[in-house]
Amino acid sequence: MAWKIFLFILLTFVLIAGISFPIVENPKVWYQFPLIPGLKENAKIIFFHVPSAWLAVIGFLMSTIYSIKYLRKKNLDDDAKSYSAAQLGLIFCILATITGAVWAKFAWGSFWSWDPRQTSIFALLLIYGAWFALRSSIESEDKRATLSAVYSIIAFVTVPFFVFIMPRIMDGLHPGSADDKVTPGGGPIVDFRMNDSMLVIFFLSLIGFTILYYWMWKIGYKSLLYKEKLNKKLIRG
Amino acid sequence: MEGFYKFLENNSIFIVMIIVLIVWIGIFAYLFNLDKRLKGIEKEIEKEVEEDKNEE
Repeated sequence: MAWKIFLFILLTFVLIAGISFPIVENPKVWYQFPLIPGLKENAKIIFFHVPSAWLAVIGFLMSTIYSIKYLRKKNLDDDAKSYSAAQLGLIFCILATITGAVWAKFAWGSFWSWDPRQTSIFALLLIYGAWFALRSSIESEDKRATLSAVYSIIAFVTVPFFVFIMPRIMDGLHPGSADDKVTPGGGPIVDFRMNDSMLVIFFLSLIGFTILYYWMWKIGYKSLLYKEKLNKKLIRG
Repeated sequence: MEGFYKFLENNSIFIVMIIVLIVWIGIFAYLFNLDKRLKGIEKEIEKEVEEDKNEE
């Protein structure tokens, strides 16, 4: 219970700070963010858009971990955990795409410009979209769990490439691209021109969203487990 | 629409607000999904309890 209250306070703080802390040219007080040329206030998207993309990666990673666990022990509970993690991963992947597109309309001039980052997240959405199509097409529980576990492991191999490598070695519009002047040669988004207080709130946001993800995942897989248990009981009884 | 676009361009904090709103909608959609699943479970449990009563 205590961690849920902590999460509430943390996310409330991140929301208030992320939206309302002023952006000034020369920050002097701890609650002021630096002005990033050409971005103005919409630089604050970093507190909400980046954690969404981060949760997408975490979701897909956890889905793969539980897929491996399932293949080793053949316990259907692990399949439910993997499914719930991937479901959240896909939701946050979609959110990262939409929030990025809305921001791009004002920062780059159009919603979609096939920037390497946009192309790679689109490919990820297709890959994981296919995973859900695969799952819903198989009736047998064990077969569905085995096949989707194998697919999930193969799908995850593409994630580091699409999220961390490809958009950084190619020229593009997204911060952190190879031709980005702020991070020459391409680099993690953290090298973005942030001051300490902006970095602290950014990391608090990442931590808060990760805990929120854990909570959502836990409720999600529990509901799946109970549904399965009930179904089995009904069939047997 | 043109006016709205101009307004957002000049007051870019509202773009951040829209983005927070989108994330919020995503979380809410997940809650809806979960709620639907739990209602299904609830219904099945109720059905089972009633069947047990009838058998008695």
